[in-house]
Amino acid sequence: MKSYIQISGEIGELSELSFWKKTDIVDLAYVGYGLFIVTLVVISYILGSFNLLPQDPQDINLDLMIAPPGTAGHLLGTDFMGRDILSRLIVGIQAYFLPGLLAVFIALFFGTVLGVLAGYRGGRFETAITYFTNLVDSFPRLVLILLVIAAFKPNIYYIMIVVGLTNVPVVSSHIKGKIHFLKQKNFVEAGVSLGLPTRTIILKHILWHNCRSLLIIQATIGMAEAILMETSLSYLGFGVQEPTPSWGNMVQAGANYFMQGKFWLSTAPALSILFTILGFHLLGDGLNNILEGKRGK
Amino acid sequence: MKHSAIRPIALMLSRELTITALLLLGVSFVVFIILYLSPGDPFSVLLEGQMSTAEARAGLRELMGVPKAWHAQYLSWLTGMLQGNFGTSIRTGLPVLKEVLRVGLNTLVLTIGSMLVTLAIAVPIALYSAVRGTNRVSWPLTMFSYVVSALPVFWLGYLVIYFFTHKLGLFPLVFGYSSSVQKFGWLYPMLPILVLGIGNGTISEVIRYLRDEMGRVMSEDYIRTARAKGASVWKHAFKEGFLIPVTEIIASKIPFILGGAVIVEQVFNWPGMGRMAWQAAQDRDYPVIMGIAIISAVFVRLGSLFQSVVYVAVNPRASKE
Repeated sequence: MKSYIQISGEIGELSELSFWKKTDIVDLAYVGYGLFIVTLVVISYILGSFNLLPQDPQDINLDLMIAPPGTAGHLLGTDFMGRDILSRLIVGIQAYFLPGLLAVFIALFFGTVLGVLAGYRGGRFETAITYFTNLVDSFPRLVLILLVIAAFKPNIYYIMIVVGLTNVPVVSSHIKGKIHFLKQKNFVEAGVSLGLPTRTIILKHILWHNCRSLLIIQATIGMAEAILMETSLSYLGFGVQEPTPSWGNMVQAGANYFMQGKFWLSTAPALSILFTILGFHLLGDGLNNILEGKRGK
Repeated sequence: MKHSAIRPIALMLSRELTITALLLLGVSFVVFIILYLSPGDPFSVLLEGQMSTAEARAGLRELMGVPKAWHAQYLSWLTGMLQGNFGTSIRTGLPVLKEVLRVGLNTLVLTIGSMLVTLAIAVPIALYSAVRGTNRVSWPLTMFSYVVSALPVFWLGYLVIYFFTHKLGLFPLVFGYSSSVQKFGWLYPMLPILVLGIGNGTISEVIRYLRDEMGRVMSEDYIRTARAKGASVWKHAFKEGFLIPVTEIIASKIPFILGGAVIVEQVFNWPGMGRMAWQAAQDRDYPVIMGIAIISAVFVRLGSLFQSVVYVAVNPRASKE
């Protein structure tokens, strides 16, 4: 199927073929799964916000501790205090949803600004941004976050600011590459000779018309990173604290029971992490292949 | 190595060393700024519960000869660090640098071991799909790599511990107890290496990168020529299609693997830098975590230095760029 695809020009240019002809079924499946997960997460977030849950996530039931999945009224079983795991999973989304969006917003906003500066102005900006990129890449992210935790306090929004800032270089280098490519195109030159203000060229013609899909892709990848960080940190005990559930602290709390063969306490949140991050990754890669046409090789 | 290859390497090395030095300067500055901005200066921690008035702090500051302006503070801190004085741990009172280097060796073993595991998994898959393209075998393998990359590494750790201690009974549950009974005790350190190698979340990226690079090289003209005249394709493709991409991707993934080490060391009680960082963050023992941040940045930079050396050794022209 792929051998018929003729990608005209270089990266970033789409072929004239119709959507169905140039799109790989695998990519559609990726995007389909990703969108399913995103929808599930958003709906669960809203349900959690309005407390529309199967059970009360804080309701301790000492008669029904560590009930296996499938117990009446507890689809995924109960934890070591008899609390409903499914409800806690749904509420656990609260721990990363808004902070994750903050991280994504920071990465996209500053990444775009720096990327435009480097791509459109070039010169010293470009050198500075390369330096900044290498600088950020020198730190293991988790270590940097632990440093911030030690210096300030274990606040999820501080953590997500660091996650967002460390994602800035990736976004800016993508935007920069795209602008380098677009600058060779006639429409930018035409815009300049028509006397359009630089603002219009950059915001409308470059960013809005040509970088939209790139930013959406980066947003999904950034969200996956944010979820990974939040769950890792709450696993390590720096995120949301018991009794408030988060997927990471649920895995951690279930660890001892895991070794006794009672897997579901840790496994339910761990698989939630797995499927969610997988969903965001596949969505990003699928969209990348479809919208940016990088499958042409 | 041929003699002609030495000069470009020396040229490149001097340039790369300058860049590395500049970047490490930046690293130290970032670390300093984070601490500088943090609420409560070191003096209020030192004086906790004693006489924490502003005058007392100022007095102590003067007594210890700490400059007031931030740039002077930074400079004195930096000179101290260059002389190997990273300060002492607030919790244990031991010198930070010595402690971090002591446990850093364990982390080095863990990270290098897991890189090898990652490569051992990624390279065959990448080679296969680069040579054969997408087919019935490589597609499930790609899918598998996606799933593995999304696995929470801590849970993978539990899974492996459970399997090896309960199902196979190879190890005691807590390492160190009754180790004389267990015949396979020496295998225990392999577990965290294996877990981090699989679960560091980079496998799918590594596979994709290696596959694309190998695929690109395989379709080059010189490979076609080699194939046409019956020469060894592998020998011709090795440098550009294998050595360079492998060192490149490994160097760029060091920070991720070090980050994963923080979690894996926690799961397995591995006495390394990551566990120390965790403990330090718990205790807000910032001199320690500062030292760890800087040492791991040095480690990352050395990795990328190594990568540039390999790159120029393989392709001497690159030193002139």
